[in-house]
Amino acid sequence: MKVITAYCNLRADECLVNGEVIARRDSSSEDSWFKQLYRQQELVYPKFYKMDALSQAGYLASELIKRANPGFPEAYADDEIAMVFANASSSAVTDRRFIQSYEHGGSPSPSLFVYTLPNIVLGEIAILNKWYGENLFAVLPKFTPGFYLDYNQILLASGSRALLGGWLEVTADSTDVFLFLVEEQESGMEFSSENLLHLSQAGSVAA
Amino acid sequence: MDSLKEDLKKQIIEQLNLEDLSVEDIADDALLFNDQGLGLDSIDALELIVLLEKYHGIQLTNPEEGKEAFKSIDTMAAYIRKRNAA
Repeated sequence: MKVITAYCNLRADECLVNGEVIARRDSSSEDSWFKQLYRQQELVYPKFYKMDALSQAGYLASELIKRANPGFPEAYADDEIAMVFANASSSAVTDRRFIQSYEHGGSPSPSLFVYTLPNIVLGEIAILNKWYGENLFAVLPKFTPGFYLDYNQILLASGSRALLGGWLEVTADSTDVFLFLVEEQESGMEFSSENLLHLSQAGSVAA
Repeated sequence: MDSLKEDLKKQIIEQLNLEDLSVEDIADDALLFNDQGLGLDSIDALELIVLLEKYHGIQLTNPEEGKEAFKSIDTMAAYIRKRNAA
């Protein structure tokens, strides 16, 4: 059966892996929350500093899921891990910064332009891990568990064996990131709409 | 600290939108286009060309020169000094 083997929730002030808080934002720090997390978790990937916030969020959550699940991704061929991400605001934050760069900064910024599509985060993760599997980024009105379940059926038919799914809503005012790993195992937490909805709220007041 | 090198680091942070980095995070000899250094890519090379013209009035037209000049902060500073002395 398909089960959720690891998950990560990244919010404005805390980060949870498999439901356990692993880091809290230091509001007295001058560093951004994502930089705090990157350093606190002793991650080393200088390209992190070039990424926009959406890609940083995807990078951080995917690295923490890998760390929480030893053996993944080595158990799979490089084209057997699919990624399906979604959010509601696309790359709007970076789009606005890019507009700002040519309206007020004199010239359009190439380094901002490259992040003016939400699916760039998938490319960043795929490049880092050398994953060549299927990937898709959808823009949806809200987190919709059924979307991941339905799309997983298509992925299974095309040879994918593991799915890294995610909701990555990162705006100027809020951070709501939920990444989850789905694999085939004999037992565990079933990959279902109810469980996805429940885990997406792990540790939050609404849970 | 060499003020040209410090200025270059500030300009790179500004031009490449690396606001999560500080001047102290960039070593003078760190390889700019290496994953163990700053991890810059071809898009960033364009930004560095713009930076040279915008802040230092230097037009870089020979790609081979760029390859050498953009290796590190050390080489960028040396290139700027060489061009300014010419």
